[in-house]
Amino acid sequence: MNTMAEAIDKTTGAMSASELAGGIHSRATVGDFTVADPRMSCRDVDVWYGSKQAIKGVSLDIAQNEVLSMIGPSGCGKSTFLRCLNRMNDTIDGCRVTGSIRLDGQDIYDRSLDPVPLRARVGMVFQKPNPFPKSIYENVAYGPRIHGLTNNRTELDALVESSLRKAGLWEEVKDRLDQPGTGLSGGQQQRLCIARTIAVSPEVILMDEPCSALDPIATAIVEELIDELRANYSIAIVTHSMQQAARVSQRTAYFHLGDLIEVGETNDIFTNPRHKLTEDYITGRFG
Amino acid sequence: MTDTNASRPVPDLGGGHTVRRYDEELAKLRAIILEMGEHVVGQTQSALAALVDREESQAYRVLDREPQIDYLSLDADEEVFRVIVRRQPTAVDLRIVLAMSKIAGDVERAGDKATSIAGQALELKGLAGGLDELPEELKQSFRALYDRACCMFEQSIQAVAHFDVALSLGIFEDEPPLCEAGKELRRLLGDEERSELTPRQIVCLLTSAHALERVGRHASNIAEQVIYVALGQDVRYRNREILIETLRHQGY
Repeated sequence: MNTMAEAIDKTTGAMSASELAGGIHSRATVGDFTVADPRMSCRDVDVWYGSKQAIKGVSLDIAQNEVLSMIGPSGCGKSTFLRCLNRMNDTIDGCRVTGSIRLDGQDIYDRSLDPVPLRARVGMVFQKPNPFPKSIYENVAYGPRIHGLTNNRTELDALVESSLRKAGLWEEVKDRLDQPGTGLSGGQQQRLCIARTIAVSPEVILMDEPCSALDPIATAIVEELIDELRANYSIAIVTHSMQQAARVSQRTAYFHLGDLIEVGETNDIFTNPRHKLTEDYITGRFG
Repeated sequence: MTDTNASRPVPDLGGGHTVRRYDEELAKLRAIILEMGEHVVGQTQSALAALVDREESQAYRVLDREPQIDYLSLDADEEVFRVIVRRQPTAVDLRIVLAMSKIAGDVERAGDKATSIAGQALELKGLAGGLDELPEELKQSFRALYDRACCMFEQSIQAVAHFDVALSLGIFEDEPPLCEAGKELRRLLGDEERSELTPRQIVCLLTSAHALERVGRHASNIAEQVIYVALGQDVRYRNREILIETLRHQGY
């Protein structure tokens, strides 16, 4: 850490405007990465793909009932970091994660912890809608069935309906639950995937560019849904759309070359970011 | 006056976008404001000549040219809308666009003050027992107030050109002398010994004095917006002395 960076308080991000005017390019996180009552808590997380370090000492909390957006240029590590949160990186050969990631105080990388139920508690919605090649009903019922969340068909029917309702899809599909999920429109398929995630009663939902394959109307519907889901879940979303980050999230984290550069209230990040790299990126000056 | 050479270097806050057209659009918006400012300076100068030197032609010149500022104000509004729609500005760009919109309003209203002074000059001329020449001490007092107000206004426009925080602080530092110059002029106009002026003439002159002082106040408003752009701090309604001391201490 260089001399100027030492002047930046890692917790308070006390970086003066005059320092910014001088063009500091510090890699110390600016802003408070902690929250009072975190659902997930990450400390000094490093991720390596073989010899290449993709994430460098990132510390970040995810609060209960908040949407946290992660933004940054391609290759900055935001998706890699997101995938650490439910151990999706376990499936990648040569990927090594160090540091601490806790869900409700429990270390998710504890050797005794089974990643399968973890991924039910920390669900994930991907860039491209990926419904199973099954009926709409079965897409939602699959998770609860393998996790044994219901005792009989009546309970399963009720869970499918409530999940589809929470995903804002019930009215559109209630008369064709036996039809293939792949027959829905892109936006509907993505909401079906969200319903599938909700069905296993997660605590956290991770979304990796969930609207990048959707048209503006479908995007708006999913964004409205994200806002509604916040009442019951913690949501971390990776997005390349800064307008989307500004619209849907309460806090925003900016990543650059594997570093968490700045984190703060979304309103502050988009009106008065404190780090020059953040400002350059969100104003379109990033070269 | 502020030594502008001592100003801390401020980066070109409106430039350097990956999309160069965006830079051009912000530069165009700023150019409109600067052009408006130049017009206002000229208008105020002409208005003072009409009032103090009794140059009637200068008053008509001010009235004729007022629409130019109004039209530029409309252009600024249009450019603001265009940038918002096309670019959805964020961070410093958002602050620039919001500030420019407010600055355009202040510059336009400063132009209105010049028009008001020109109108008063013509009214003085038309009043029964018309006033051919102002008493010398009043002339000097009007010029002193004009010097303060116009200097502040010119500096505010320069500050907009470079988003110069130090220059903006200098404008704040000029507020007390502006206020004093205004008070002195009002004191002279209220002097019971001033029997050479009719009450109606005194009202015209007081109105003009108030308008001149307001030009300086608009400069202060503009300076507040410059600081908002450069530092992201809304300094409206903040204690001026503390603000100046704090920012000077930070090197501005």
